[in-house]
Amino acid sequence: MERSWLWRIGLIAAVALFSVYQLVPSWFYFKLPPGERNGPAYEESVPKWAPNARRHLNLGLDLQGGIHLAMGVDVDRAVKAKVARRADEIAEYLKEKGVPVESAQPAGDGRVIEVKTSEPARAEKTVLDQYNSEMYAPSGAPQGATWLAFKTKVLQDFQAKAVEQAEKTIRNRVDKWGVSEPDIKRKSNNQIQIQLPGFKDPEKAKELLGRTAQLEFKIADDESSLLDAVRSELPACQGSEAGFKMPLPAEGCWSVETVELPSGGTRQVTFLAANNRSELDAAIEKHAKSKLDHDHELGIGEGTVGQGPIRDRYYRTYLLRAKTELTGDYIADARAAVDNSQGAGKPVVVFTMSPEGGRLMEKLTTNNLHRRMATVLDGKVETAPYIQGKISTNGQITLGSGRPYQQMFEEANEIALVLKAGALPAPVTIFEERTVGATLGPELIRKGTTAALVGLLLVIFFMILYYRATGLIADVALALNGLLVLAIMAIIGTTLTLPGIAGFVLTLGMAVDANVLINERIREELRAGRTVRQAVDQGYDKVFWTIVDGHVTTLVAAVVLMQYGSGPVRGFAVTLIIGLVASMFTSIVVTRAIMDFFTRRDTARLSV
Amino acid sequence: MQFKTFDIIPHDTKFDFVGKRHIAVALSLIANLAVIVFSLNAVHGLNFGVDFAGGTEMEVKFDRGVDAADIRRSVEELGFKDASVQTYGPESEHSYLIRVGRIALMSQDDVNRVIQAVKAKLPVSGEPHFNSEVGDKIDFQFTRNPTSDELRAVVESTGVKVREVREEAGLTAGTRSFAVITQGIRDKVENELQAKFSDAKPDVRRVEYVGPAVGRELRNQGFKAILYAMGLIVIYVGLRFDFRFSPGVIIALLHDAIITLGYFAFSGREFNLTAVAVILTVVGYSVNDTVVVYDRIRENQAKLKGKNLADLVNLSINEVLGRTFLTSFATALSLVGLLIYGVGTIFDFSAAMLIGIISGTYSTWFIAAPMTIWLEERAEKKKAAAPRPHEAQAKSV
Repeated sequence: MERSWLWRIGLIAAVALFSVYQLVPSWFYFKLPPGERNGPAYEESVPKWAPNARRHLNLGLDLQGGIHLAMGVDVDRAVKAKVARRADEIAEYLKEKGVPVESAQPAGDGRVIEVKTSEPARAEKTVLDQYNSEMYAPSGAPQGATWLAFKTKVLQDFQAKAVEQAEKTIRNRVDKWGVSEPDIKRKSNNQIQIQLPGFKDPEKAKELLGRTAQLEFKIADDESSLLDAVRSELPACQGSEAGFKMPLPAEGCWSVETVELPSGGTRQVTFLAANNRSELDAAIEKHAKSKLDHDHELGIGEGTVGQGPIRDRYYRTYLLRAKTELTGDYIADARAAVDNSQGAGKPVVVFTMSPEGGRLMEKLTTNNLHRRMATVLDGKVETAPYIQGKISTNGQITLGSGRPYQQMFEEANEIALVLKAGALPAPVTIFEERTVGATLGPELIRKGTTAALVGLLLVIFFMILYYRATGLIADVALALNGLLVLAIMAIIGTTLTLPGIAGFVLTLGMAVDANVLINERIREELRAGRTVRQAVDQGYDKVFWTIVDGHVTTLVAAVVLMQYGSGPVRGFAVTLIIGLVASMFTSIVVTRAIMDFFTRRDTARLSV
Repeated sequence: MQFKTFDIIPHDTKFDFVGKRHIAVALSLIANLAVIVFSLNAVHGLNFGVDFAGGTEMEVKFDRGVDAADIRRSVEELGFKDASVQTYGPESEHSYLIRVGRIALMSQDDVNRVIQAVKAKLPVSGEPHFNSEVGDKIDFQFTRNPTSDELRAVVESTGVKVREVREEAGLTAGTRSFAVITQGIRDKVENELQAKFSDAKPDVRRVEYVGPAVGRELRNQGFKAILYAMGLIVIYVGLRFDFRFSPGVIIALLHDAIITLGYFAFSGREFNLTAVAVILTVVGYSVNDTVVVYDRIRENQAKLKGKNLADLVNLSINEVLGRTFLTSFATALSLVGLLIYGVGTIFDFSAAMLIGIISGTYSTWFIAAPMTIWLEERAEKKKAAAPRPHEAQAKSV
């Protein structure tokens, strides 16, 4: 006992210093005006010696304003799309195996694939041999056809995967816009909850999140002359594609680019260009739409003109075959890399296909060697490079050149991210939308802080008044408790909400609670005639379990709250949990060490 | 004890808590029943917030004070018969919460009319989609690309006002998806308020939509959470002490939870997710006191063998009276700031918490501990009536 207080005081001092150190980023975060907190100014302001700048206290949606969305994923349509794709696969597979197939299409409720064939029995056996773990053949197929259906577990798996993938996709997108501390959670009922603190524009958020991010590979039809007829209807663009004279005419214009043909030789291919998307849409509608047949469509891509950092953007068309050859669902992995094959390093996106996708890609690239393959992301042509050789499981997307290296690398990174997350597997609908006004924030946070401070001061004052010196010790523990809670919150990146502030205050109340229990017990022991030393020892020993019990029972309630609560309620629960753990430490370990220090001699006096 | 100290509660009180238990139990039963009956929808019901009930909630700030009844009348004139209007925050802010129980304004007839018109003029692919739980929004797919203005014009030709036409990426290759958002509840209420109170400059600060499905789910989860928390706490107390103590804890917990619910039932304040959080916290906190008393009962049982149980319980409660009172007092003290400066939800949180803390202390003294005696006595009587060999062996304490 003699020297052990030294160790304990040392430990407590270390904990206190560590807490202060961990709060350094938060200090710099709150020093900035609200508008700049989430920007680069913050990261620059945090000194190098401080902990990671990301570890700061966050303000929840209710405190800084923002957007809350609950989005429902239409899993039904995801499943249907999956079934349709499988039907295509089955048709291909049967043809490969030499089974005559007329067609393979979803039938009935869209979950059964009907294969029309002159040899139903053979078709059924061939398919089931390949997909025996996932599919079975239900009865009831009409003459000259066989039915194939998915097992229930597989369908459930499709649904779960659809929601999971949607969540992943949304997370990636949100990360891309740099919203600080988005909170994205999967909930039951195929819903995804998204909270974007500090985000002001709900319409933009909904638009960005609701897009499907469909990735498709399509082949450009450079042999076709369908668009050549447009030349008489629209003005020609001034300048070459690499250096259009901007701005382009308001109604859009036509231009040509020289492309290589698979047969060798080159050709001038017509395309349309305009300054913005809606101009181009209007031009297509007016001049080009009627010239297309059902096998062709126009893809729209973006181009830039000029040198250096200031470039003009324009939009242009690509004449594509309408058929979607392959979708992003088959991509297993993607990352940004640097391609050094053509001398100078050039950022590219390298991807890996699933074995199934690899097979399809190999076929596609073999059949279309030296043609251009368009990578269409959300209906926009990202790149359209030539297929230089057979690509199977590993492929590469070359980005349009002419931009600074860093920018291109970033773009490659972004594309890789989206590819990895894949497309939103199904449309999402917004179930719940809450916009918390930003003006509500500062006012409430000021009131919340005042409220917490008033509570804290009252408690501190009461403890000193009632228990004198021991009360002061309890207050020291209380202050440390508050510091510790904030530090832990900063470290794990919890978000502080208004109910969280209430939870914080309640925690302080509970920490005092423990000290009252201890002090009352010490009083009781003193009344029973024990010496100060004995009374302190006895007091702590006897009250130890009572404190643990009280804390654990409240902890149980808090954990349940965290499990079932959402939004601010969760913030409250998290703060309460952290507070209770900190309170156990401060009330049992910290106050005891200080008490032991002051009462280390038997002659010690104590005001309780 | 060198300095003069004082005790708020004298340390040698000898109050007969056990003796008063009949009156206390009767009082508590009446109070609890009153809360339950009052909370029933048929009698009065809880003022379920948008969290639970589903609907549209708007926070509107005015430049000057406006009579809430006038606002309600205006909103009800628009056809929202279930509208509720309450002031929000301090008087000086002139903020009001307007709540209506609907999310979408369009009827199925309107929707059909719009869909027919669009189908007649534009190349619609597949069936357009409308879900009243999502709001006034119809999703269309087209085989070729109409302009937003074109689509807007067609929809507005049916007499439906359009707020926004948003293009979304097509689901399948070669199709285009558009969402048409018509002017819904928010616009309607806002326009009406602008017209009626233009001099007070109404400003819609915030709009929340909650679908009934979400509300139902949240409500079920809230009740489940309270039950789970109670169950777990009872198990913990049972394991730490003795399961003989558990019934007393359950009853005290239920008592406190119901009394806290009473705050929301009688004040008419909104019962939302935060209210569930308060009840859970009260449940967790109120055991605190109960445990202190149980702990002392156990300690005294070992020390004072053979003493009459009622006296033992009385002695134990009195011995720790100062503690149970002071701990609650200290916690209540920390809530004072929140009560003074808290607005809206936070005020309700603190007020309900305060009531829960008081109820928790009361139930510890008058309900939980005396309950133990009652159960013990019943067990004794049973044992006396039908003594069986394996039960005769009393449980060691």
